[in-house]
Amino acid sequence: MTQAPLWDIFCKVVDNHGDIGVCWRLARQLAAEQPVRVRLWVDDMQALKTLWPAAELMDRQSLAGVDVCRWRAEFDADVRVADVVIEAFACHLPPTYIKSMAIKRDQGQAPQWFNLEYLSAESWVEGYHGLFSPHPHTGLKKAFFFPGFSSKTGGLIREKDLFQARDAFLKDPATADQWLAQQGVHRQSGGLTISLFAYENPAIGSLLHAWQLGDSAINCLVPEGRILTSINAVLATQLKAGDQLQLGALRLIVLPFLHQDDYDRLLWSCDVNFVRGEDSFVRAHWAGKPMVWQIYPQEDDIHLIKLDAWLAQQAQISGPALTAAALTRAWNTHIDCAAEWQQAITDQKRWQQQSLAWTRHLNLFDDLASQLVYFGQKSL
Amino acid sequence: MKTGQELRAGHVINIDGQPWLIQKAEISRSGRNTAVVKTKLKNLLNGSLTETPYKADDKFEDISLDRKEVTYSYFADPVYVFVDTDYEQYELAADDLGDLLNYIEDGMEDVCEAVFFDGRMISITPPNTVTREIVYSEPSVRGDTSGKVMKRAKLSNGHELQVSDFVNTGDKVVIDTRTGEYKSRAKD
Repeated sequence: MTQAPLWDIFCKVVDNHGDIGVCWRLARQLAAEQPVRVRLWVDDMQALKTLWPAAELMDRQSLAGVDVCRWRAEFDADVRVADVVIEAFACHLPPTYIKSMAIKRDQGQAPQWFNLEYLSAESWVEGYHGLFSPHPHTGLKKAFFFPGFSSKTGGLIREKDLFQARDAFLKDPATADQWLAQQGVHRQSGGLTISLFAYENPAIGSLLHAWQLGDSAINCLVPEGRILTSINAVLATQLKAGDQLQLGALRLIVLPFLHQDDYDRLLWSCDVNFVRGEDSFVRAHWAGKPMVWQIYPQEDDIHLIKLDAWLAQQAQISGPALTAAALTRAWNTHIDCAAEWQQAITDQKRWQQQSLAWTRHLNLFDDLASQLVYFGQKSL
Repeated sequence: MKTGQELRAGHVINIDGQPWLIQKAEISRSGRNTAVVKTKLKNLLNGSLTETPYKADDKFEDISLDRKEVTYSYFADPVYVFVDTDYEQYELAADDLGDLLNYIEDGMEDVCEAVFFDGRMISITPPNTVTREIVYSEPSVRGDTSGKVMKRAKLSNGHELQVSDFVNTGDKVVIDTRTGEYKSRAKD
């Protein structure tokens, strides 16, 4: 009996949890939805365990249908090369593995090789996506694959049953309350619920202050992460997972770092989601709720160009006057954003409509995992 | 050894044992302070062309090449003819001129560096700066002498660039050929 094709995904954890977050989701989705076997190579098992607590700190384990292997610096030269190989986020494959890929190619069984790049809404991405790149030393062909927000890119990670799960969760408002209660969260009624997952940001002071003095209750749910450093600095506290703080109209609740599926439920449960980087950012799109994105900061402020590209793409779908454009820019330039927040939330209904329109638009494109499979089939 | 980030028009790199001339290299900043570079390549053995991306930290072997100083002689459609100090002539098509195409004009005396592979001229690099006359410039903003306001201008070969607002038609300007940017008005 012919075995299903083997896919290898290589993931080097650099910082935060974006690398492993995206790779783990992709691995799980491929294993669950496609007729393939998936092996995930990761150099930092602790990073995986943080977002998937069932993971053990061991060299090899089977998790959620994925064969998870520790990627050691001294890579075993006898590892059998997969049929499809993905190097994620500009990582470099082990030299011994590349050598084995070349041998397999010489035997007439060249593996399909993808460089899975970072997500960007910039237009130049479309000019790179799908181009083949011959490896300088072996001539093996690698396809550059760019996730993105248009039909000329590789799309976004989106599981087949995601909307079904989301809609079932949202059908009865009590479901979100029950789930939150299980996380130890008891919201103030009649107000807004906001999730806050961000990098350090001095602008948080202006938001906390605005929320504290607001006319309506604000429940701010903070999964443990880098923004907590900024919150604690502003409030002169040492908040950690499990802590709650009431400040005027604001109830600040610190949650533990959430399991990936639970993070989706958090997004669904909230009225506004502050997200960061790539993984939480994409998930917030599918939640269909108003969102404020903090992009990964880069040298020379190049990230602001990428941020504007994303806002511009949304504006093409949702209309030129994006409700949260000013707030998003202020949040990313670390300036006082109380006024921008007030302006956005005063127009909450339109913000919600724009968010839903954007989500519906993105749902028109095939998801990233499917596109990888189709691309591979087309290239054979 | 060169990295993807260091690739420039005129470089020749070894890809799987084949010499490829870089006709164009365009860098785009990706995520997390990384970059990707899109190259337009020409195989020096069989002439095939390809458009290929690389990561900024991909590594390439240089191919050892001969270099000579040459000056521009004339245009013999579709090739440009250059001469070395021994008056030997060499030809290059427009696609292989790289950035020099922006500055080429009859009578130019700039000494360029030509690169040879297997006795054949394959690319040419202009000197770091060239001086050219402005044949057209947009009208100046009244009173600006700061040099900070820029405007569009044209060289005799039609190439356009941004120059300081106080530069006028007929002025000669110094251009940095590595960046394509105006440096200053030429001293008489």
